[in-house]
Formats: sequence, C-alpha cells, structure tokens
Amino acid sequence: MRLGESGKMQASINITPLVDVVLVLLIIFMVMAPQMRRGPDVKLPNTTKPNSQGDERGRILVSIDEAGGLWINDQPVPAEHFGDALNAAVGTEPNPSVVIRGDAKLHFVQVREAMLAIEQAGFHGVGLIAKRAGAEGK
Amino acid sequence: MEFNNKGSGSGLQSEINITPLVDVVLVLLIIFMVVVPLLMEGYDVDIPRASADTSAHVAESQLILSIGSAACPILGPPAGEGIPKDCQVTLGDQKIPATELPARVGEILGGRPAEQRALFLAVDDRLNYEGVLRIIDLAKSGVADLKIEFIATN
Repeated sequence: MRLGESGKMQASINITPLVDVVLVLLIIFMVMAPQMRRGPDVKLPNTTKPNSQGDERGRILVSIDEAGGLWINDQPVPAEHFGDALNAAVGTEPNPSVVIRGDAKLHFVQVREAMLAIEQAGFHGVGLIAKRAGAEGK
Repeated sequence: MEFNNKGSGSGLQSEINITPLVDVVLVLLIIFMVVVPLLMEGYDVDIPRASADTSAHVAESQLILSIGSAACPILGPPAGEGIPKDCQVTLGDQKIPATELPARVGEILGGRPAEQRALFLAVDDRLNYEGVLRIIDLAKSGVADLKIEFIATN
C-alpha cells in the first residue's frame, strides 16, 4: 500500500536536469562549431562594413592560407591544377559563384593571381570574404 | 466568497507550464547553430574583360584608383582598425590621403546612375591584402552600389 501511494505521488519524470544538460551541450557545440572547420586555418581580414555575402552553401569556397596555399571547398589543391579543380567543384550547381577567403597576411599578388585563375576558369566576379571588425574576439 | 473560490481555482495551477517555451527556445538554438557559421560577409569584385564594350567613351568616364606601395606603405597587416594615416592614393589624376576617399568617391560618382558607379582599382602587388580590403571598404562607404573592378591583367 505504501509503495503504491508513493508511486502515485511522483507520476511524471522530472525533465528539468535533462533539459539543463541538453542546453549546456548545445551551447558547447555552438561555440565549438566555427572552430571545427576541416579546411585551412585562415585569419580573415578585418574591415568596418563588409556587405552580406549570404550563405556559404552553394558557393565555391576558395581559401588561400597564410603560406599562399590554395584550397577549394576545404581541400588542398596544387596551383597547377587549380583551374581543373575549380571546374570539378562546380558539380551540379546551377549558378555557381566563387568566394575567396584570403588570409589577412597575404600580399595582394597572391589574391590577384587566384582571381585571375578564377576568371580564366570562366567565372564572372568573386566575393572577397572579410570579417566585420570586432565581430568575435579573434 | 466568490473571490475566494477563484483564488483556490488558480491555486490548482500555480506554476506556468514552461515546456512549450523550452521547446521553442531549443529549436531556435538549433536553427542559429546551423546557420550562423555559414553566413559570410565580404566584397563583390570583378575583373573586367577586354571586350567590345571597353570603348573610348566608356574609358573616358572610368574612375581609376591607384594604390602604390611607395605612397601607401601597407606591406604588413595594418594594426587596429582603419588604415594608416600616411597612406596616399591616386584617384583619377589626383593624389589624396586615403582617409578622404569616401568623400571624394561620393563627390565624383554620387551623381551617376547606380549601374555606372564603378571604381577601377590598380593595386601594387606588394601591398598587404587586408590593407587593400580596407581601402575598398573606405571607397564603398562613400557611395551606395559601388562596383569594384580590378585592373589585374598582367
């Protein structure tokens, strides 16, 4: 009798600790996600008022790391095969556009050469990705 | 007495049901988690092609911004925000401090229709990429819908 009574008193599971744990996990993943890129370590240039470039899905990401190495969609690509790799990256995308994520320490010539190669591969215009100054600590 | 009855009625449901609130907040969190790292900001630029539309009357109205490494010595990443004060650029045929760029670009291109607002950039190869982007940022803040074209043929 007593057992049955106490069972009735606590009929529903207390989900509050579960929700707490899930929320904390969510926040941890939220903070970690931007740092878990597989691609190169690129420190984007800081500028005051960059325009929105929209979503990175559906764009071809060309990254240039500090040493001048080229990456397409987070895969390293040798400079001599850059044009072919760029065309291969188009895939089934109906309206492909290219953005360049160049490291802040680069000399302009390295970005210019990448822009020329992209132009020669048949793409019109690129987006140069920057970071709004003071957006996130680093 | 009626009042008392109501009081005891609300006493039955003394706590707010927060479960729907938590559900909504969780879904919002997941949405932001997925979307925020994928949003990018930057500048649209173009390399003009040598073609029929590069005719004489177009060339006449072209506004060229030259950034040399002697007049504007940004060879490493500029510190802090903005660009160094000693940076001088050549806009059209005039040498001006880079800090005056927004005003001058607005003055020259502001009167043109939006589709003709183009700034042609000739940039020294040795300049730092971040410095170049900051100068583009300055120029774009002078007038809306400014198109940036790089003269980068050689």
